[in-house]
Amino acid sequence: MLTRKQTALFGRVARGGLVSVRLELRALLYGGVLAVMGGVGLLVQQNLDRIGPVAIASVLWLGALGTLVWALRHAPPFSWGESTSSHLAFDYILLLGVLLTGAALAYTEGQFTPLGPAWSHHLLVISLFAGVLAVRGDSRMVASISLTTFAAWCGVAASPFGRAFWDFGSAEGPLRRNAIVTGLLFVGLGYALIRNGKKAHFEPLAAHLGWLLVLAAILSGIGARRGAGAAFQLGLLVVGAGLAFFSFRAGRFGLFGMGLVAAYIGLSALVVSGIRDEFLGFSWFTCTGVAVLATLLLAHKNIKARS
Amino acid sequence: MRDDLAAADRRFEVREAARGWQRAGAIDEATRAKIDAAYPDDRSRLGEIFRVLVFGFTLVVLLSALGILGLMVASAGDKAAFLFFLCGIGLAALTEAQIGAFRRRQGGTEAATAFLAVLLVIGASLWLYYQGLRPRDELAINAALVLAVVVLGAAGYRWGYALFVGLATVAAFVLLARAPFGRLLCAIVPLALTPFVLRASDSSDLAPSHRRSCEAIAVVALVFVYLAVHLASWDLGILEVLTGHWREASGAPRPFRPFFAVATALVPVLTLAWGIRSRRRLLINLGLVGLLASIVTLRVYVHVAPLWLALIVGGGAAIGLALLLQRYLDSGAGRERGGFTAEPVFTEPEGRSALELAASAASFAPAPRPVQQPGFQGGGGRSGGGGATGNY
Repeated sequence: MLTRKQTALFGRVARGGLVSVRLELRALLYGGVLAVMGGVGLLVQQNLDRIGPVAIASVLWLGALGTLVWALRHAPPFSWGESTSSHLAFDYILLLGVLLTGAALAYTEGQFTPLGPAWSHHLLVISLFAGVLAVRGDSRMVASISLTTFAAWCGVAASPFGRAFWDFGSAEGPLRRNAIVTGLLFVGLGYALIRNGKKAHFEPLAAHLGWLLVLAAILSGIGARRGAGAAFQLGLLVVGAGLAFFSFRAGRFGLFGMGLVAAYIGLSALVVSGIRDEFLGFSWFTCTGVAVLATLLLAHKNIKARS
Repeated sequence: MRDDLAAADRRFEVREAARGWQRAGAIDEATRAKIDAAYPDDRSRLGEIFRVLVFGFTLVVLLSALGILGLMVASAGDKAAFLFFLCGIGLAALTEAQIGAFRRRQGGTEAATAFLAVLLVIGASLWLYYQGLRPRDELAINAALVLAVVVLGAAGYRWGYALFVGLATVAAFVLLARAPFGRLLCAIVPLALTPFVLRASDSSDLAPSHRRSCEAIAVVALVFVYLAVHLASWDLGILEVLTGHWREASGAPRPFRPFFAVATALVPVLTLAWGIRSRRRLLINLGLVGLLASIVTLRVYVHVAPLWLALIVGGGAAIGLALLLQRYLDSGAGRERGGFTAEPVFTEPEGRSALELAASAASFAPAPRPVQQPGFQGGGGRSGGGGATGNY
């Protein structure tokens, strides 16, 4: 089956004679970016009085400029399709450049207030800037920063490590609405990318983040009192079921899983909130769990038959 | 381990390797088809997403069924523990049937039943033991650890789950650490054990899942060696917390502090060197993680620079080191040096994993601007907005 040359190469790799450390180098680069940005955050917070705002802003802008110049020099030729850079560090240095630019702009805005009352628009500026660089450099990692920064401009935190977007404080309604609209915008953006055949490989990122925002925004309301809670539960069931159905038909199993779990939570919340008996509650989860399992196994059989 | 399962695992490894070769363009579709035909997969497997969903929903079903059983036997006392023990045995039999007669592997359901079987057998046995003999706490903890080693080890060996074997190894070393001179034993025994299990992990006589189990033992063993000699582990009593003897933690003995300080730095470096010499990525990764932990420890004990500077310099050094290493490896003949390359070897060339993208989005996302309720007329809102405080 294999030629002598192929056997020798595959055998060498299998015996550990040739080992790729690409993953380790990438982890080193990612960890480096994480550490630098952590340090920059502390620098800005702790050294304002000692170093002075002009010096800090200058260092941040120079750092951003240096990394972006390096990244653009190593960028792949522009294409609306996939055009990955051959340099291992390209994505990470570009990411660092975008993050440093964001920090520099935020710091400049915070200290010198050039935007005045419209201060929060610096997030939109950075989102667009990151979007342009993501398209130019074909970087999905930078595209994810562009989307999450746009969400932040809409008031929605897309990071579980920051203030969660379901932590509404006093602005429950508007923030939830913002999260849903932002999520749908991302889904729409993904659709437009595919339809126009431009950076179509960014679509999964936009679609997954978009649906995550939509479903999480609806999920955050299922504990509301009286009719509102039931409306959110029903909404979660309908949206989740719809997402699961259409994603399954399209063969997109990540979105299918997301939709299925959301629909199950919505349905179970609707039913269990009306059950006072523990035995019936456990029975509900046993019976519906078996039904979902059977559906999943049948669906998988169907996929296998199709392929 | 069942012979048919071991054979299926071996065939699966070959098929997976062929998939990587084809993805990298090293073989064509016809060759891949021939390999697939020569190494047929007789197991029922699910893709990753389906597997996670099936695993999760199987747990939902089984846990709610156990909840019903719990409600029915709530007042039965000792008999309830025995019933749960029988349930564990029943689930173990169900796992056997799925892996054997139904030929399931990576199917979600058999992993869920195996997981609950182990949990129930250990939990219910301890419940019965405690209710029957009312042992002292020390004895009960030792019994729990012995039971965990035996049950997890047997389940891991029989069904080929490296995670179970890894957990059994953790329990075994915690048991060892509870003995007199526990720290010393935790430094010596794993060190003696690791070369043997690493050699076993290369043996073609073992099934692939058993080879991975050997690697899991090696990882746990080296982590315990590091914990046994680590200076902060002495001072914080980390091993003592693990063994339940935290009251006995008294910090590193004063005359030996320099030795432990050097050992804290040396263990990861030696692990890394061993990994490079033997070309084992497992050891290289473990050494790198240990090195990071040792650098953090150094920063805690010796304030060489302010934290912001240490982070920027450390991060910059990591980026610089990665760039230098790549250049060094790429400049070798055939873009490799000493058996190492920075090129992808039979993996997707530049595939950005979903995990990496999710991590980037999660860790670098800026703080959101505050959203106000309609009609709210607050005058503030600038502070902390949009990453101006440095948390961009």
